[in-house]
Amino acid sequence: MQPVEGILFEPVGCLAEFPAEPLDEIAVRVFGRKNKPSRSGSWAYWHWLTLVERSGTPLSDSQKRSVEALEIDAVSQACLYEDVLPALGELRSMGVHLSIASSLSTAAVDRFLEAGRARGFFSAIWTRDNSGGIKTAPLGCAIHAASLRPERVMFLADTAEGFKVAKRVGVNTILMMNDPDEARRLALEEPAGGIVSLYELPDFLRLVTAQNAGRA
Amino acid sequence: MKKVSIYRPSTTDEAIRILSQHGTEAAVYAGGTDLLVRLKNRLKQAPSYLVDIKKINDLRYIKEDAGGDVRIGAATKLAEIGDSGLLQKRYPMLVKAIHMISSPELRNASTLGGDLLQEVWCQYLRGGYSCWRNGGHLCYGAIGDNSYYHSAMGGRLCYAVYPGDAATALIPFDARVKLATPTGVKELSVEQLVPGDMMVDGRIQSHVVRHNEILTEVVIPPPPPGLRASFEKLRPRGVWDFAMASLAISLQVPNRTIEDARVVFGGIAGRPLRERVVEDFLKGKLLTAELAKQVVPVALANAAPLKYNAMKIEMAKGLLASGLAELNAAG
Repeated sequence: MQPVEGILFEPVGCLAEFPAEPLDEIAVRVFGRKNKPSRSGSWAYWHWLTLVERSGTPLSDSQKRSVEALEIDAVSQACLYEDVLPALGELRSMGVHLSIASSLSTAAVDRFLEAGRARGFFSAIWTRDNSGGIKTAPLGCAIHAASLRPERVMFLADTAEGFKVAKRVGVNTILMMNDPDEARRLALEEPAGGIVSLYELPDFLRLVTAQNAGRA
Repeated sequence: MKKVSIYRPSTTDEAIRILSQHGTEAAVYAGGTDLLVRLKNRLKQAPSYLVDIKKINDLRYIKEDAGGDVRIGAATKLAEIGDSGLLQKRYPMLVKAIHMISSPELRNASTLGGDLLQEVWCQYLRGGYSCWRNGGHLCYGAIGDNSYYHSAMGGRLCYAVYPGDAATALIPFDARVKLATPTGVKELSVEQLVPGDMMVDGRIQSHVVRHNEILTEVVIPPPPPGLRASFEKLRPRGVWDFAMASLAISLQVPNRTIEDARVVFGGIAGRPLRERVVEDFLKGKLLTAELAKQVVPVALANAAPLKYNAMKIEMAKGLLASGLAELNAAG
């Protein structure tokens, strides 16, 4: 892995534990799916994004309002992981470019960052609203706007869909090992790395830098 | 097995020169019971150049100096430590711990330095998985079978436990080590030597010894008056296994009151885990049969077990209770 210049964060599952119910409800209300409880908030989130993608048609205004209301409901119940703020502070002090690259709405991300007092750590915030799309769109905008090289960027993911998005954009997928069983399955997809806690990210970056210096 | 070249220096200075020349491609070779297995496992971090220090004369001894410290050369075999009358008389707990390391055959080959600086025995690392210690960036132990070789006290990148018993048993005696380095001798406590999961020379390892440094000596100060010490180790089989959990404990009890304490758990964390909360709790208390009931709930409050290893914490607490009972009975 090359030295890391930037990290892109999807709040759902990587900065906080989101409840599955409101996100499952999006699939029910907007796409008429049966109410089938997801195993995690992340899984529910990426599932409804995939449904949007597969439908091939943009959401109507009423659907957008419905989705946004449910997302905000999820954000209001989300619990920021305790390691997030100290880790982000350390990463900032190391000079790493930190961006939010999320398929959530701008309103939901704003609410999330405000509640977690995390806004100040990020140089840029890309959502489905200001990037003009979901999944790869926010990541692409974050990389392009900050003139980052994808091979020097990390994207944290805890679902197979998150992995696919990272691969399509060409960034390093870092497995967030929130659930050991799910993480064991995802490890077979050969992520560039994996962490149990965000506390590990600064050391991860230092090790990669030292390994590259040793090879130079 | 990975192909290697072997150097046989006759002095420590010569060994350091060779190690400096080859960087992280070289490693010290003494007993070989860990190093040769790493080579057989074809680990990415296994060296290509071995610097055999067995021909260096002044690294294998057990002696008492004028100040009463006992000095053990780093290349001293574990079996020699186990057979030492001086050590049995002065530090019987250490001798007991040494006898619980691996098998008699391996103790005949293994050195004290090798035991202190050995690589972790995580099955994923030894099985060639691309983990933090093997050229990758993920701990498979954190998400796989972590029932035995992995930390129940959290981790940083690698979640493997530090496997050595000697360090766990030396810390209660406030033992120190000497390192020969290109710029002279460096002295550290054993606790400082193996802080666990460190990034050294661009690698993850359990100890702080750099590629061009050599552990030369362990120095154990004389035991203070009234010192009682105990070592216990729980393992899957009765012999020849690493600790699921172990405990080395020493109490300074000149009468019935505990004046000082050292409590060190092995096999449950990435380092020998000195439990200072318990040490502080014990100081000033009367050593009685009831003390364990008060102290066990205080212990290991920061436990962070992985999916399959919560029982390590229960084992460690059980060892604390039985260790205190043993020391109480010894009075």
